[in-house]
Amino acid sequence: MQRAAKCALRLDLSRAFCPSSVRNCPAINKVNDTVLCRRYSVLPPPRDKEEKAMLDSMLRVDHAGEYGANRIYAGQMAVLGRTQTGPLIQHMWDQEKMHLEKFDEILGEHRVRPTLLLPLWNIAGFALGACTALLGKEGAMACTVAVEESISEHYNSQIRTLMETDPERYTELLQLIKEFRDDEIEHHDTGLEHDAESVPGYFLLKTAIQAGCKAAIYISQRI
Amino acid sequence: MDIKNSPLSLDMAALIRGLKAGRALRGLRSVAVQSTLSPQCNNVRRGFHRAALLRLASDSKSDTSVPPPSYHEVHTAGESSSSSAQGESSEGAQSNTSFQDQSGEHGEDYETEEQLQARILTAALEFVPQYGWTVETIAAGAETLGLSSASTGMFNNGAGDLVLHFIAQCNAQLAETLAEQNNLVQLGQAESKKTAEFLKDAVEMRLRMLIPYIDSWPQAMSILLLPHNIPDSLKHLSTLVDDIWYYAGDRSTDVNWYTRRAALTGIYNTTELVMVQDSSPDFEETWAFLDNRIKDVVNMANTAKQVQATGEAVVQGLMGAAITLKNLTGMNQRR
Repeated sequence: MQRAAKCALRLDLSRAFCPSSVRNCPAINKVNDTVLCRRYSVLPPPRDKEEKAMLDSMLRVDHAGEYGANRIYAGQMAVLGRTQTGPLIQHMWDQEKMHLEKFDEILGEHRVRPTLLLPLWNIAGFALGACTALLGKEGAMACTVAVEESISEHYNSQIRTLMETDPERYTELLQLIKEFRDDEIEHHDTGLEHDAESVPGYFLLKTAIQAGCKAAIYISQRI
Repeated sequence: MDIKNSPLSLDMAALIRGLKAGRALRGLRSVAVQSTLSPQCNNVRRGFHRAALLRLASDSKSDTSVPPPSYHEVHTAGESSSSSAQGESSEGAQSNTSFQDQSGEHGEDYETEEQLQARILTAALEFVPQYGWTVETIAAGAETLGLSSASTGMFNNGAGDLVLHFIAQCNAQLAETLAEQNNLVQLGQAESKKTAEFLKDAVEMRLRMLIPYIDSWPQAMSILLLPHNIPDSLKHLSTLVDDIWYYAGDRSTDVNWYTRRAALTGIYNTTELVMVQDSSPDFEETWAFLDNRIKDVVNMANTAKQVQATGEAVVQGLMGAAITLKNLTGMNQRR
């Protein structure tokens, strides 16, 4: 009860002071009841500084990843929005927006610092999305495949870390990450279905994008 | 350093050896990577310090038969489970328990080194107006607790430890007060304040905690600027600013997180500087300065929003003009 009041108050304050953060609760509500509308916290209260630091860095990089993916789809939509693949990309983009909202919520609730390089990921993501979309629909799908593969690999390694540490303690967080990883794998498969591999230089493009993603993950965990 | 052969004889030589060993171990600890090594070193160090302090105390309140930790007990204290240490030393005196047992059930004599240091530093604060932020102050504080003034040897950083302890204490007090106010607001028993007012009140509350020490505060500030103190003082400052913004309702997760905290850090630091050379009654000029700075920041934020809105409107206008041009020249039709 107090939790719900706290949630409501926080949303009010957020809307007044930081319009860019938590937004339309109804939009969140309508999409996925089990995950996004729980009124209890996803993380356990931290035992000590090391655990807080570990969880902080994990959530920071996840938030940065979803933010980047959001911007990549925005870039792709800017180029291909009015073509036939528009609705498909829009659908994947909406799912990424959901993920980002959820991470925004978690970061605000648990006082996790977002990464300093968000403006950089903003520009880089949009540029990557737009440039690969300029190669045509296959280019956009190839970019999707590469990025989603990196992200799902990253989520898998996080799941492994949490399972090794203490699966019971992190049940909700594990459930959340597993759900998001499944969404990302779905995007990856969608990309493959829509002729990602037929773009010229697919292997080179994919390797380059994945190297960039790995570097971004490494940096965001620390900065 | 050979643990097995060092005698725990009760004289000055032992004290000096103990303190040297403590420093060596602390250096060792900073190099050692494995966490299993440090509790052992910690415990041995604590054993030496505790032995040294207790032996030299003129008026030891813990003289209810606490023999110095023997090698056996120190060694077993290094074992991970407190129960095994307790089992093995159960024949000994009551407080010869594992150094990892923090519950305090075994009598008020028992405390960790950190707690002891905290007590000494808190006691030392009342002597700050007299001796300033120096090691003499810490010595005076230790003496009020019945410990020898040589216990200042525990504090590697000297006056820096005292200043950092004071700052941490003030920040904790502020966080507690803000949390209580937050609770009242959520229970509906108090009105929530607007951001500018909240920030002003929080910074004023925190700066008022400096008033008893304001005459010697410049000395403290200069201590905090020493290179080896800078990381710690920055950490305390960032915790302070983060706490204030959190209770002010900031839940941003973009670059605003950084700009807000940077702005508040600037406000806090400049107001602190104004305060140390303010001679008006009850620091009125300082609070007026603070008010103006916060107004400036709020204005800047509003201006930034306005600029962004104007920019977006301009872009839309240009796009409209471009599309009109394309229509007029007939380039917009699909062939």
